[in-house]
Amino acid sequence: MTTVYIADTGVFVRCGGPDKDKFQRLRRTLQQAGVSLRIPQRVYEELGGDPAAEGYPSGNIPCPDGFEEGWIIVADELDYANPLVSTVMDDARRVIANETDRDEDIIEKADTALVGLAAQVLDTGQADHVVLLTTDKPAGRAAKMLLPQYGFSDHIEFRYVSVEYLETITPDEFR
Amino acid sequence: MVQSPSRSDRPPIQQLQTVADLLEKPALSRLYAHILQHGPITVSELVNEVGIPQGTAYDYVQNLQAAGLVEKTRKQRPYEYDAESIALTLSTDKETQTITPALIAAVARRDEDEDIDVYIERHGLDGLAVALKYAYEYVDGTVNHRIAARELDLSPLEAEIILQALEPVVSEYADAVV
Repeated sequence: MTTVYIADTGVFVRCGGPDKDKFQRLRRTLQQAGVSLRIPQRVYEELGGDPAAEGYPSGNIPCPDGFEEGWIIVADELDYANPLVSTVMDDARRVIANETDRDEDIIEKADTALVGLAAQVLDTGQADHVVLLTTDKPAGRAAKMLLPQYGFSDHIEFRYVSVEYLETITPDEFR
Repeated sequence: MVQSPSRSDRPPIQQLQTVADLLEKPALSRLYAHILQHGPITVSELVNEVGIPQGTAYDYVQNLQAAGLVEKTRKQRPYEYDAESIALTLSTDKETQTITPALIAAVARRDEDEDIDVYIERHGLDGLAVALKYAYEYVDGTVNHRIAARELDLSPLEAEIILQALEPVVSEYADAVV
């Protein structure tokens, strides 16, 4: 069984800067388990060089270390020409609009990128199991709800990344 | 328009100065938030648990008592104090904001959480009050950082930082109306 781990912006914010224990624990855990986290392009853009986040201790995220050491990988571009990917992302827009009680028009592609990437990874056979690590509950719920409808029941897991989760994480959860 | 706390018998304008102090002085707001969560409590317990000097603690408790936000619940020594919940609504022509215990607790964290401190410096206390409302939604799962970022005109990363920083306040004041 091949599992791909997809991580969202919130995971790295939760790590709270380079000297924080949680970042080191995450790095150690992933390296011991021999797995890496894939981040959607959109998350890469959110994390990288955001001047608005400068000054916040939690905005100082040493992701470049993760890229260099290979435990954070930027995922392939989303393939909107893949009908499954675009359909799942359209559906996710509706689910997220409903979960957040917002108009569908204001839900953007960025909001559904996580779910789209999960669909793409499963559909192209890169993995038969996807674990979403995120603090985005609406997107996590959308993935849990939608992917089973396209034949991927039991292939998707949503882990809400709380402080406790990062403080108690072990390599066993990545095997 | 200023509405006073429903349970307090002090007139609203008299309370206003103390409420302003609560928002200005993180040590005072920490003390108030602690009494609210853990009262009835003695001053020496407060000194130990909140980590402020004894003289300051006595002064602060007295100020809060004078404003009707704290009440002496045990009349013989050692005196015990309990806090009144606060809900002070301020309106201008354009905006209405309510000062709640959760907001006071969020301000109280700025000494220990630099993310909150930076956010207040950049967006003010009104900005923090609005972010706190989004933090309740974020914990409920009815908003994410990206939607919050667009609606609050922040970058997604900045939105995620402040939402996570306010999460402990939301958990502590889970039933509070913001």
